[in-house]
Amino acid sequence: MAVKIIESCVNCFACEPVCPSKAIFESKPHFKVNPNKCTECEGDYPVFQCASICPIEGAILNALGEAINPPGSLTGIPPERMAEAMAELQSH
Amino acid sequence: MQLPVLNEAPAAKSGCSSSSCGTTENQMDALPDSIREKVQNHPCYSEDAHHYFARMHVAVAPACNIQCHYCNRKYDCSNESRPGVVSELLTPDQAVKKTMAVAATIPQMTVLGIAGPGDPLANPERTFETFRRLSEEAPDIKLCVSTNGLALPDAVEELSKHNIDHVTITINCVDPEIGAKIYPWIFWNNKRIKGKKAAKILIEQQQKGLEMLIAKGILVKVNSVMIPGINDQHLAEVSRVVKSKGAFLHNVMPLIAEAEHGTFFGVMGQREPTPDELQDLQDACSGDMNMMRHCRQCRADAVGLLGEDRGDEFTIDKIEEMEIDYQAAMEKRKVIHQAIQEEMDSKRLEKAHKAEQFKAEPKLATRPVLMAVATAGQGLINVHFGHAKEFLIYEASSEGVRFISHRKADQYCGGDSTCGDGESVLQQTVRALAGCEAVLCSKVGYEPWELLENAGIMPNGEHAMEPIEDAVMAVYKEMAAAGKLAAKPEALRAQG
Repeated sequence: MAVKIIESCVNCFACEPVCPSKAIFESKPHFKVNPNKCTECEGDYPVFQCASICPIEGAILNALGEAINPPGSLTGIPPERMAEAMAELQSH
Repeated sequence: MQLPVLNEAPAAKSGCSSSSCGTTENQMDALPDSIREKVQNHPCYSEDAHHYFARMHVAVAPACNIQCHYCNRKYDCSNESRPGVVSELLTPDQAVKKTMAVAATIPQMTVLGIAGPGDPLANPERTFETFRRLSEEAPDIKLCVSTNGLALPDAVEELSKHNIDHVTITINCVDPEIGAKIYPWIFWNNKRIKGKKAAKILIEQQQKGLEMLIAKGILVKVNSVMIPGINDQHLAEVSRVVKSKGAFLHNVMPLIAEAEHGTFFGVMGQREPTPDELQDLQDACSGDMNMMRHCRQCRADAVGLLGEDRGDEFTIDKIEEMEIDYQAAMEKRKVIHQAIQEEMDSKRLEKAHKAEQFKAEPKLATRPVLMAVATAGQGLINVHFGHAKEFLIYEASSEGVRFISHRKADQYCGGDSTCGDGESVLQQTVRALAGCEAVLCSKVGYEPWELLENAGIMPNGEHAMEPIEDAVMAVYKEMAAAGKLAAKPEALRAQG
């Protein structure tokens, strides 16, 4: 069982030092998780440390492949409002 | 960041105390000598100094421990100039090289700051490694850091070891109810915390950190982002609180919120304050506090005088190829700094003298006027209208001349979809000068001349290479003599 960092990661380094298992490492084009080391913080913390500091919605997936921080959960911007605003910008 | 920002605190609501608003004096004169000594060559802390000295930021600190509604951590655009935006993240080693390369190439560069793009104290190893090496290898550079304050109390001890005598804390509120509308979450004690509870912890840490820094004798400037309808009414209280705890300067900055930045405020349609609203708030706070008005809200990797960015000359590729003899550079820098200091000192005396003279003249019964000035430093009118990327705004009144703010002439770039269409750059520039009645520059072309006149802004190229304050006062007196400045109560908005 391990979490996964995907391509929307912005390489901000925030998760790397908070990982209790030292499973996260810098890599190109983005940070990665060593699945052999990741413990999902079990025994150390009740919540995923990496996903608790990550600022990017959807950048970290749980073992089921689901976004731990789904759209709107961190910024507070409702996903439909974001889609509307981006469509508006595109139409200019 | 901009011109003489260190306005002395006006005594009354007039926005002008007799001691601070003459043509010659500025905010620096209100500071105790010990503080003035420390900030006189710091472009971000001294409005006077920002005409002469340059600063740079090194982007070594990508991680952040909070989210602010005016920030989007995804952003990286070389055409954008605002906090939190960078083009290249640096390792501490690259940052040290870059700093020394800039110091040798731009000897007026006196200050190295770490300001992001995340929170410097949420990246303690990278931030402190950079400071530690620069204290040793480039001891003639002042070091400073800005932070959201969450990790500040734990960092004060380490900060005090590295010759850092200036810290900036961004404090947008002292009330968790308001904070909950600005900060969606913080990372604290291994948990993401949201809402009022998060804001309360952040505020407590900021205030505790402020007190600890003051106790250590470290100068503290407070930055606040003015967000209409959220904290605009509250910032005068913030100003009072931080001043009572010993912060020496308050920098109230306007919210930047464009939908294309993808920030909460941008996307949700939160409006930015108008220049008038910002000035009114700065004036309201200035009764309690030294206000900074020359902040340019620069990028976390900005290089050069405030208002300019020479970062492109110092990319990682370019600095790798530079051979720097820092000992030789330091000697050269020392001579240049001394010459600038002497020039500033003599100008300060001259200003004081002129202010005395102005006080002795019969007082004009005229209304205040805003004027825009095109300058590239040295406190002179020395830029063509068409070349100006920004204008400094001064207010002339019967009390004298005071610096108010800056306005950008080139608009923020919003990326491909919004670049290059709509109104012309010239039209945008004229619109950016709304509220001003004159614009002083070294030259004005025919086309802008006509547009400016039509917009009620008098173009003036007669004071090229003259000191700004003298020229503004001369134009003001001409306007008065021409009968354009009869005091109309409704025109006295700046007198609140």
